[in-house]
Amino acid sequence: MKKNLSILLVLIMVMSLIFTGCGGNDTPEVKDEGEEVVTIKFLHRWPQEPYNTFFEEVVSDFEADNPNIKVDMQSISNDPFKEKIKVVLGTDDAPDVFFTWPGEFTNRFIRAGKVYDLTEEMNSNGWKESYVYSQLEPFVLDEKIYGAPFRVDGKIFVYNKELFEQAGAQVPSTWDEFLTTCQKLEEANIVPIAFGNQSPWAVSHYIGTINQKIIGENIYKAYDPAVGDFSDPGFVKALEEFEKMVPYFNANANAIKHDEARNNWMAGKAAMMYVEIVEIPEIESVCTDEFRDNYGVFNFPIIEDGKGNQSYLTGYPEGFVVSGTTKHPKEAVAFLKYLTGKEVGKKEALELGYINGAKNVVEKGEIADVVYDNTQIVFEAERMVNWLDSGLHAKVCNVYLAELQKLMDGMTTPEEVMQKVQEKATEVKDEF
Amino acid sequence: MIVMNNKTTKTLLKTLLYLFFIVLATMVIYPLIWIIINSLKTNSELFTNSLALPKNPVWSNYIKAWKLGLSTYFLNSLLVGAVSVTATVFLGAACAYGVVRSQSKFKDIVFYMILGGLLLSPQVALISLYKIIDKIGLYNTYWAMIIPYIAFKLPFAVFLMRSYFLGFPKELEESAYIDGCSSIQTFFRIVLPISKPILASTAIMTAIFVWNEFLFALVFIEDKMKMTIPVGLSNFRDALVTDWTVMLAGIVIGSLPMIIFYLLMQKNFIKGLTAGGIKG
Amino acid sequence: MKRLKQKNYLIYMLPAIILISVFVYIPIIQNFYYSLFRMNSYTDEMVFVGLSNYKKIFADEIFYISLKNNIYYAVISIVCQVGFGTVLAILLESKLAGKLRVFFRNIYFLPSVISVTAVGLLWYFIYNPNMGMLNSLLIKMGLENFTHAWLGEPNIAIFAIIAMSQWQYVGYIMILIIVAIQKIPIELYESAQIDGANGLQKALKITIPNIKETLLVTSVITVIGSFKLFTEVYVMTSGGPYNSTQVLGTYLYNTAFMYDEMGYAAAIAVIIFVITFSVSILQIKISNSGKE
Repeated sequence: MKKNLSILLVLIMVMSLIFTGCGGNDTPEVKDEGEEVVTIKFLHRWPQEPYNTFFEEVVSDFEADNPNIKVDMQSISNDPFKEKIKVVLGTDDAPDVFFTWPGEFTNRFIRAGKVYDLTEEMNSNGWKESYVYSQLEPFVLDEKIYGAPFRVDGKIFVYNKELFEQAGAQVPSTWDEFLTTCQKLEEANIVPIAFGNQSPWAVSHYIGTINQKIIGENIYKAYDPAVGDFSDPGFVKALEEFEKMVPYFNANANAIKHDEARNNWMAGKAAMMYVEIVEIPEIESVCTDEFRDNYGVFNFPIIEDGKGNQSYLTGYPEGFVVSGTTKHPKEAVAFLKYLTGKEVGKKEALELGYINGAKNVVEKGEIADVVYDNTQIVFEAERMVNWLDSGLHAKVCNVYLAELQKLMDGMTTPEEVMQKVQEKATEVKDEF
Repeated sequence: MIVMNNKTTKTLLKTLLYLFFIVLATMVIYPLIWIIINSLKTNSELFTNSLALPKNPVWSNYIKAWKLGLSTYFLNSLLVGAVSVTATVFLGAACAYGVVRSQSKFKDIVFYMILGGLLLSPQVALISLYKIIDKIGLYNTYWAMIIPYIAFKLPFAVFLMRSYFLGFPKELEESAYIDGCSSIQTFFRIVLPISKPILASTAIMTAIFVWNEFLFALVFIEDKMKMTIPVGLSNFRDALVTDWTVMLAGIVIGSLPMIIFYLLMQKNFIKGLTAGGIKG
Repeated sequence: MKRLKQKNYLIYMLPAIILISVFVYIPIIQNFYYSLFRMNSYTDEMVFVGLSNYKKIFADEIFYISLKNNIYYAVISIVCQVGFGTVLAILLESKLAGKLRVFFRNIYFLPSVISVTAVGLLWYFIYNPNMGMLNSLLIKMGLENFTHAWLGEPNIAIFAIIAMSQWQYVGYIMILIIVAIQKIPIELYESAQIDGANGLQKALKITIPNIKETLLVTSVITVIGSFKLFTEVYVMTSGGPYNSTQVLGTYLYNTAFMYDEMGYAAAIAVIIFVITFSVSILQIKISNSGKE
């Protein structure tokens, strides 16, 4: 009796360790038929509705078709995802199929062996050919394919037609025209551009675009962490051009979130906003009927003396990859193929208004015209240019973004910003 | 002397003092009222005028917040809290009793370990703890919160209960031994029942800590089905995007349990706080 | 027989000792070791870099911003929470306060009962530049010039966060001091009364000297709490805009989990350890000498 009780105390400790065994997902269960059921872990970044339900349905459809695979789904929302994914991949219980942004954001995981090489599977049974190649290309590193696109995207301006009319402003096609338009709106007491930069990825989208248009191919030398050469004077020039548009943003841009700024734009409190194409379905679902006919879109204006190809589009697809440490590559690849394939693509387009990277998912007329037309901007673009924040090494990116916020407040100069960025890039290169 | 005798001056002073108290109380209470008012509005009402009263209280905000995940976070907090509190109180009492009654030199080492543990802040252990938790397979389980909570609250529990046991008459236990009780039986039947007040204080302090803890829960948990209220609430803001009134309703729901808990057990609560003297 | 009993006591202590060793002491010791490496969260790769993380810290602008913010937080908290909290406690315990004192005490204490996350989110909305309570009130009072993007302006943001903490914790420190005041023997006041002391004199000559130790303890709690600061800042600004609200806690978290520099973060943790540990030792020393 006495002995038993003493042991009990120690047991609590031991028990805690045993219990954890129950948390493991990879323990194969044996079904009645004797067939082994494999559980794969799936991580996406849309915990909010209606997206979460969409994924739940995709998973249950897949499970119905593949009775030997069980998909354990989890999700983390956008901003925390960027932090959590690193932690999650560091654990022994990493998800078998997970969301990611292609480019340096994913490349560091590829270098660390955390992403499964899909080249062989992609090259058989015409899997690779089922995608629009411009949307698959971002997932290629050193001629190997590591992932598949789930949602195509690009950055465009949306504008309020009524407010433009009020101010007598024109839809601009060149940078100078753009600044004139802003000026006109300002004079008519209309806030020209809605901007929420509390999470500074928002400003990186502007700078990514302006950099590409002004500098051209040299940006790739700079963004590659193994080179990290930001010496092209175009980087400073780009910031100087950006400074010209800063006065036209709404007040307190650094204090409000992107979504809040978008709400303000939809409420007619500002004339324009630089948004992602994937935001259009959201705008359509929230806005009033009058507003729906009252807004239009245009491409980022051409910068006439810029060295970059002016018909490139900023925006990269988002997609999914298979974990490099997965214990069930066959099942995980099967799920990935299903998830980014035509069937799910159609459901995705109809229910969420997102277009995936598979060929000919929907015809015009099947989904809202505004969504269909704008997605064509992506497919017609000569080339996609990655988002600045996911294209850069994390350390360089953090310095760049913080300095850009500072620049918007007039607390630093373009030269100083680029000097700090170069310092960090050199440090990263030395560690590489 | 003059002041004390002068009744008008005293009344004046009293009025001034009350005015001061009331102004201060308004400053404290108004933000709480503001959030409750706005949690009952529609989003457009909130944006038009956040100081106005709602036209028709939108109670559905609360239902929505509850259904969108708060119910899960709530249960998780209760579960993690119950296990952590029970284990901390029980293991802490046992250890404190051992330290007080043991005669070996080992108890001094233990005591200094406990004392040292009081001074260490959880942040310092964060990175290594994350690695350890992952290595032993606790990452993203309730235990990833429970075990560190217990470990970091034990020094405090032992310290608190040790000083209580020190003043505990040994005669009671001895008479129990004479009656044939074993050491363990004595501990359970004599020591613990008499120590109820200090056990309660420890339990309250641990409960407050667990209910509020954010950092470990943020780093060690990834699955929203396992999140506790603090991390759940902050996750809520990202998930709701601009559905702010629901978010506000969520904040109210998340705050209520501790307020009710406090109002129900004010005396014990304050006793626990003064005994502990450690913030959040 | 006696020996057996001694062994039993060891078993009482063992579970707690094991838990504390494995989950408190080992991680902290390990943290010192990690601070000598370069590593990230998603691989097991570790590169030994010696003391270079520390060298980098002492040349790191953001580290100094963080340290400065922690110090601001500590100083302002001492003045507001301990200073003003004492005044409030004395006023509430004075005869003038009458029967309503319990009511006011409860109200002032209420915010500290709410979790830091909820309070942080609440004030996040209060400070919102467009619909927030603060700007709306200022506009209503005709003080439009005083409206700000409270969490978006680098010179103001950290103070906005600090202000929120004062709102939350003044009542908490106040309660600790009230409890101490209530322990002062009533005879002391009675004899002062006979000597003809007024309220202010009584407060200065009797109350304050008798709660000296509590004042010290609450000051130390406040200072240590200031260096443990994390949740408030994480929830409200995550350290932005451009690191102006960064504190050691959030900088540690950001370097570890956003910037992929776990070794560097471990070195920051060592610095937090050194600061909080020495303040605690100071407390023990002072309170021991007070007793002698």
